[in-house]
Amino acid sequence: MNKKISCVDLIQEKLSALKENAYNTVNTLLTELALEQAAKVDAKIANNETIGLLEGIPFGIKDVYMLQGTYATASSDLLKKYKSAYTATAIQKLLDAGAIPIVKENCDSFGHGSSSENTIFGAVKNAINPELVGGGSSGGSAVNVAKNYTVFSIGGDTGGSVRQPAGYNNIYGLKPTYGRISRFGLMAYASSTDCVGPLAKSVEDIRIVLNTMSGEDTKDQTTYTSESIEETSILDTTGIKTVGYFKNFIESEAIDTQIKEDFLASIEKIKAKGIKVKELDFFKSDILVSTYYTLAMAETASNLSRLDGTNYGDRIDDTNLKESYAVTRSEKFSEETKRRIVGGNQVLSQGFSDEIYLKGLALRDSISENFEKDFEEVDIILSPVTPSTPPKIGASLKNPLAMYLSDAYTVGFSLGQLPTLTVPQGTETGLQITAAKNNDELVLKFANFLKDTI
Amino acid sequence: MSKIMTVDVLSSIKGAQPSEAVNRLFDVIKNAQTTNNNSFNNNHNNCVSINNLRNDEVIESSTLEKQIIKENFPKEKDGYLVVSKVIEA
Repeated sequence: MNKKISCVDLIQEKLSALKENAYNTVNTLLTELALEQAAKVDAKIANNETIGLLEGIPFGIKDVYMLQGTYATASSDLLKKYKSAYTATAIQKLLDAGAIPIVKENCDSFGHGSSSENTIFGAVKNAINPELVGGGSSGGSAVNVAKNYTVFSIGGDTGGSVRQPAGYNNIYGLKPTYGRISRFGLMAYASSTDCVGPLAKSVEDIRIVLNTMSGEDTKDQTTYTSESIEETSILDTTGIKTVGYFKNFIESEAIDTQIKEDFLASIEKIKAKGIKVKELDFFKSDILVSTYYTLAMAETASNLSRLDGTNYGDRIDDTNLKESYAVTRSEKFSEETKRRIVGGNQVLSQGFSDEIYLKGLALRDSISENFEKDFEEVDIILSPVTPSTPPKIGASLKNPLAMYLSDAYTVGFSLGQLPTLTVPQGTETGLQITAAKNNDELVLKFANFLKDTI
Repeated sequence: MSKIMTVDVLSSIKGAQPSEAVNRLFDVIKNAQTTNNNSFNNNHNNCVSINNLRNDEVIESSTLEKQIIKENFPKEKDGYLVVSKVIEA
């Protein structure tokens, strides 16, 4: 299709589609800002000025990022009227490249969830079957991309929150290597695994957006300098010799029969291309999930302690300062957020920290060491994204433990801080491609290989 | 001073109780075997080199930023930002 359209018309079209959509993906529409930016792009085109790759491209932002002057609610009651005072580094880089933000997107409150039902804006509905969840926590972002309401969206991935909704809605979603993209201006959930991640409909779009957002930032001192990934370098897929997969993921009782069959069929197709496939040993799923949640809860208890209604947020006054804090937090945090804060404070308490929190840290180290050994033997690790297909809306809220366990295949790579991409192929909820730290390029390269293979 | 603080006090959440679902996750950790029990003996920290520490300097916020910070303040009266009743002795 070759269709000429002005940038203002394009943005208006997307804004209208978002406004009318019944999937609960929108927290705030950025109508005024977006149309103003679009008019500038049209003026540049009219003046025959050169425009960049992302110039005029409409994108969505998970509602946990700061964009100066717009609401940043984290889909929470506490921050429903909170306005960003500044702009996140990753988002600023996209703005500088000319991309146009059109929507702040629905998600699980503070990233706490795997279904995008823990939100004051209504459960996000799955793009393929609206009776099912959109996945989470970046559910609104994934559904907007899947429905073409945005060209790409920026999600946040702490334990799978980009990769799982990407899988549930059949699109691409990348969790880059930890530190490749600055977290400055992303509301902190679990700082040691929080990653900024793009969702899009092609590997090429993921590459362009990743390159734009990457780089060292003095405002996030865990960031590092990375080289731009060239289009040509990920088209040549000849360098990949060995692929591994975790035997226990596939032999688990929890995996859906069809997902297992489809995964193994994908492995056969990869073998048929002459690539060596190796079965790998890994930690049991319940250890991965428990380690991740122990550390993530401890970090979120600490990160969210600043939310007390004193300087911002919805304050409820009571008899004294301490009571005001407690009443505000009790009434304004969701049940899931409170569950995680309490869990975090449990493991950080004297008497519990040694046997739970410190042991969790030790387990994390063992998991990382395991990955390092694996990547001495294989170039890529391939996994299903989830053990099951998306649940019906309402099911996850009733059974938090089942929701935690549904993250079994994503959380390990978060703990290892490894680059991992969901591709919409192989199983009903996609496949995850993982490479060694800082090797995001190889992940994209293998995604291109899979496009032609399965 | 020895005072036992319960999770509701620690969390500033009224009536908060540990959850059964979360406790089951913690039980898995308690029973797990680790090859390395020394969590400080690792090479996976994302530490910044001392040479790359950012300068210790005050960066002035823009006027717009200051204005939004004031807008976000929960209460204002006669041009003053109102805090909750402060601290008993």
